[in-house]
Amino acid sequence: MTKIKKGPFWAKVCGHKQTGRTFYKLSLELTGDGAKSFSKTIPGQFVQIDLSTIALPPIETIPDEFAQQSRRGLLLRRPFSFCDVTTKKEKTIAEILYCVVGPASLRMTTLKNGDRVNIIGPLGNGFTMPKGKKAALLVSGGMGCPPLLHLLNLIKRDYPAIAAYVFIGAKSKADLPCPEVAKEYSGKKKEPVMLLSTEDGSAGTKGLVTELLENWLDKSGYAAKDIIIYSCGPEAMLSRVAGISKERKIDCQISMERMMACGIGVCQSCAIECRLPDSRNTIYKLCCKDGPIFDAKEIIFSE
Amino acid sequence: MENKIDISVDFAGLHLANPVFAASGTAGYGDELAEFINISAIGGFITKSITLEPRRGNPPPRAVETDSGMLNAIGLANIGMEKFVTEKLPILSNMKPVVFVNIAGETIEEYAAIAERLCTEKAIAGFELNISCPNVKKGGICFGTEPSVVEQITSTVKKACKKKILMVKLSPAVTDISEIASAAIDGGADAISLINTFTAMAIDIETRRPILANRTGGLSGPAIKPIALYLVHKVYTEVTKKRNIPIMGLGGIRTAADAIEFMIAGATVIAIGTANFVDPDVSIKVIEGIKKYCSRNKITTVREIVGSIL
Repeated sequence: MTKIKKGPFWAKVCGHKQTGRTFYKLSLELTGDGAKSFSKTIPGQFVQIDLSTIALPPIETIPDEFAQQSRRGLLLRRPFSFCDVTTKKEKTIAEILYCVVGPASLRMTTLKNGDRVNIIGPLGNGFTMPKGKKAALLVSGGMGCPPLLHLLNLIKRDYPAIAAYVFIGAKSKADLPCPEVAKEYSGKKKEPVMLLSTEDGSAGTKGLVTELLENWLDKSGYAAKDIIIYSCGPEAMLSRVAGISKERKIDCQISMERMMACGIGVCQSCAIECRLPDSRNTIYKLCCKDGPIFDAKEIIFSE
Repeated sequence: MENKIDISVDFAGLHLANPVFAASGTAGYGDELAEFINISAIGGFITKSITLEPRRGNPPPRAVETDSGMLNAIGLANIGMEKFVTEKLPILSNMKPVVFVNIAGETIEEYAAIAERLCTEKAIAGFELNISCPNVKKGGICFGTEPSVVEQITSTVKKACKKKILMVKLSPAVTDISEIASAAIDGGADAISLINTFTAMAIDIETRRPILANRTGGLSGPAIKPIALYLVHKVYTEVTKKRNIPIMGLGGIRTAADAIEFMIAGATVIAIGTANFVDPDVSIKVIEGIKKYCSRNKITTVREIVGSIL
């Protein structure tokens, strides 16, 4: 009998709250083999959740933008990253910070304590820890912040000597995902430095988070080799972050996103074009299995 | 009671523990699913398409969910025959399920070359001829739509694959699928599998572009099941029953009831495709469900239901 390692597992909802205008935090409790499997989760890995059996919210509460498409039946699982994973005794709690973007995440909002969901994971490779660096820069755009918050927790726990700087970008104050990232911190009371930017200037600095990053780098005083950038967000932003890291010769890891069917390396849907080292040739890697975390140097951005 | 039920089947000279296969392209090369299911429990396994040379596949986006289904345009991405032999065959040879290798190519010679090279491998029971993959412009659909070409490619590969079983996978995008099935059997096919995906598309209304980079893709999943069932039944009654050639039925199967419908319609074995993406252990549930159905209906051997439609 082959040992079952990554599911499917049943997870129990043990917390669920709205944290922003369209953001929610869902806590899933795992026991048994699922707890063991998920206790080893690395920040940047993801989970595939079957939301096809979850009910829709009452029809009159569904926002207009989703009213028609919410009638579509779901078939495939949906991938989510983690904003934290903790293990206590026999239980593992996996926390997912998500944004309502369509019929699947809309169904997710109706989950309440005690409900069970079917999950597979943890999947993918995850971030590589910033060993030997002096500063880790975590650069988030839009709904890209959950895996970076997870990474931040681990850096604080396992690499307290490394200074963490968090850069959060959003369209406006109302689009910030959760209270933890809704305020700037100077980094004085042991907390990491947190800097905000919004496109309309309603919170933090007005402008793009990539501009915030560049301005900070201009003044930082760190040598390029002592810094590492971790980034997650819309692809246009990631492309710019990759460009900045290349221009300044800073190590950079990027979390990519693709439409996936299986999430386990079987369907080959989630191809990402990557450079081969020392060659002009490129290959397709799989976001689900070879990623979702890639070295910024290898990715060929389409935009 | 359930333990006494015989769900084994005979298929083109093979004896299988149960009639459930993993369909080509939905279970990789076999090793990927090992983290999720006991792969030994399924009756058979079909690899993703293998071509003579490695293929990088189509640019992304390669897949999109549609109502009760999905479109894919992977473009036969695969590691190529030589790497398959050195890296994947050793893993397959340790697997209990019967293994079919799905082969694809752009010329008849390419198909034949793969069959000739792999026919001496003990780990392989047979080949599934992909003459219907709609994604590759030069090959794919062209081979599978013309009866004379189907007969020619089948007979050429049949000679090349020596004593191995040759199964031909039919495209649903033809005027008369029975004619194509007959041509494959005339060419020497030992079994017929049907159906492959339907060519289809989805458009992003904001950008007015097709969602898939390839513009079109193959529709699979529950959306195509009733059509697949009809075509299996049509080919069974019009062609294969008379000629004593078994059918592998597939297209949107995700429950035991779906599998049983296909068997009643005339399929000797069934394959599960898209549902593997949602539930890697779906095959195990289908096998259990078939046993329960037999038990409930006092059926002692599952073979009894094949083609039993009234």
